[in-house]
Amino acid sequence: MIDSIKKSSLEFFNTNGLPSKKLENWKFTSSKNFKNFNKSLSLDEIKKIESDEFSIVFINGVLDKGSLENFKFTDLIEVKNLNELTKKELLYCSESFLNESMFNLGVSEFENGSYISFKENSVIEEVINIKNYFFENGQNERVSSFNIFHINEGSEISIIEEDIKENFSIFNLKLNKFICEDSSIFKHGKSYNDDSQTHSLSYNYYEIEKDVVLSVDSMVKSSFFNKEFIEVDLNKVGSDAKINILNLGKEEQHVDNNILINHKAEHCTSFQHVRNVLDNKSTAVFNGKVIVEKGAQKTDSNQSNKNLLLSLESNAFSNPQLEIYADDVSCGHGSTTGALDETSIFYLRARGIDYSSAQKILIKAFAKEVIDDFSLSSLQDISEIALDSWIDG
Amino acid sequence: MIKIKNLEASIDDKKILKGIDLEIPAGEVHVIMGRNGSGKSTLANVIAGNEAYEVDGGSIAMNDTDITEMSIENRALEGIFLCFQYPVAIPGVGMAYFLRSALNAHRKHQGKDEMDALEFLNNAKAILSELGLDDSFLKRSINDGFSGGEKKKSEILQLLTINPKLAVLDETDSGLDVDALRTVAKGVNKFKNENNSVLIITHYQRLLNYIKPDVVHLMIDGKIVKSGDMSLVERVEKDGYSWLEK
Repeated sequence: MIDSIKKSSLEFFNTNGLPSKKLENWKFTSSKNFKNFNKSLSLDEIKKIESDEFSIVFINGVLDKGSLENFKFTDLIEVKNLNELTKKELLYCSESFLNESMFNLGVSEFENGSYISFKENSVIEEVINIKNYFFENGQNERVSSFNIFHINEGSEISIIEEDIKENFSIFNLKLNKFICEDSSIFKHGKSYNDDSQTHSLSYNYYEIEKDVVLSVDSMVKSSFFNKEFIEVDLNKVGSDAKINILNLGKEEQHVDNNILINHKAEHCTSFQHVRNVLDNKSTAVFNGKVIVEKGAQKTDSNQSNKNLLLSLESNAFSNPQLEIYADDVSCGHGSTTGALDETSIFYLRARGIDYSSAQKILIKAFAKEVIDDFSLSSLQDISEIALDSWIDG
Repeated sequence: MIKIKNLEASIDDKKILKGIDLEIPAGEVHVIMGRNGSGKSTLANVIAGNEAYEVDGGSIAMNDTDITEMSIENRALEGIFLCFQYPVAIPGVGMAYFLRSALNAHRKHQGKDEMDALEFLNNAKAILSELGLDDSFLKRSINDGFSGGEKKKSEILQLLTINPKLAVLDETDSGLDVDALRTVAKGVNKFKNENNSVLIITHYQRLLNYIKPDVVHLMIDGKIVKSGDMSLVERVEKDGYSWLEK
């Protein structure tokens, strides 16, 4: 069955090719460098990673089952190979993802994807570290992965994803699906910090049921190309989705967030807050959309994108959108792009703080407002250290 | 302390200051009054080094050091402190962090060690108490969400923490109720001593009921046209400024 899915996905990709700038989500993003990467081959040797009791390890996108031996909460999880899932279980996700040629390429190429299910009422206070190790198996490889995390009813799970590799370039094409059942709490943190020419393209689909609390927090620093699709379906009443993203861009980096939140049920709230700090010739793209369906009354939604440009050559493209088909909702959105406020710099300098320090204080203040909203304190700590080194760098 | 000679300044090619001469010795409080648009706030900003203004002529010296071409921060480190008429809000920068950064920049300039966090906190709390502000004030972002009175008290908190040589109060009394005005005046009186000076820019007599000036200057169209004692303030309150033009 999986073979036929992969085959049809590859046909879709071959028919449609690399995404062109005619597509709304790719209007300001060039895919021409994607051609420089070739599908990775399986690693020649099995890599042994030392892992701790709070970590689950993936190697080149594939679950390292050995890491589960040390994992403290093995009893609370069930692991299957994605090959064991039905087509509906595997590919029940966003229509827009299914129409993305790169998503289809990822589906056609992933191998040994995992389905990790946290059993009902699994409450884990500690943060689980999802460590994605990458090893070089050839030059300019495209590593495609697909993994599904299922947070069952009443569970409370926090994870922080981190990519770990030496200084070589890959194309990390990552597909993830997260299913949050009734009354679950899922905190998903991500930290990207990579100085190489790595391209990262990820598709994250969140299927949200009743009374769920979801938070997605991410900080990107130094990634050469980082484009992320996030789609959240709020399927049933009473759920809350918060997305906080901070991107720090220098040199010719490209950071790109495409967020779609579908309000399909009543009494749900959603919040998107994306901030970009851009220096040199870096570029940021924000495509954010909230769709409130006809029956999704009492929706409360807010969408904010703020861009701080530190150089004349940096660019931010912002496209916040609302589509509302219900009449009893509260929805807001806004976007600002600008340089550091000279009045604020004057105020700080008038107290004896030099120009460079005043700039750093204001950059940190701008960025820290997002970090302070991260739901995971450990991600706040990691991000603040990364922010300080980025500002001082 | 500060000596200003024949100072001329403009903004966007519009000349505002047209030859200001002003000398404030240590230990004195001077007041400048004048109509709206007469150049009072421009003078305050030019003294502080605001780069939006162009100095076209003349000089400013602090304790015999010419600061006319000096950067904003170096003037501050030389002892100039501008109490802003409209203090800017800076979300995300905590008052405690900001105050300590400013204080330690001054201490470094003076060749002193940085003040440790505990000593800083104890000093700041003592000043806050005198200004009738809660300790939680230090946890708030700079002027973010502050009331008009809180913003002005924040300026006085900074003044007393940094303890400069010259305080320039640019309409610090505007928008204050009587209680806040008294608190601000109390702070300024606590600051002033024989080694520092105060320049008050105001439209009204009411702040001068609490802070007694040594010299009053009246400004018209970018120039100081008359200097004298408190009787000038009373004359302005009574007759306005038109008598100066006759």
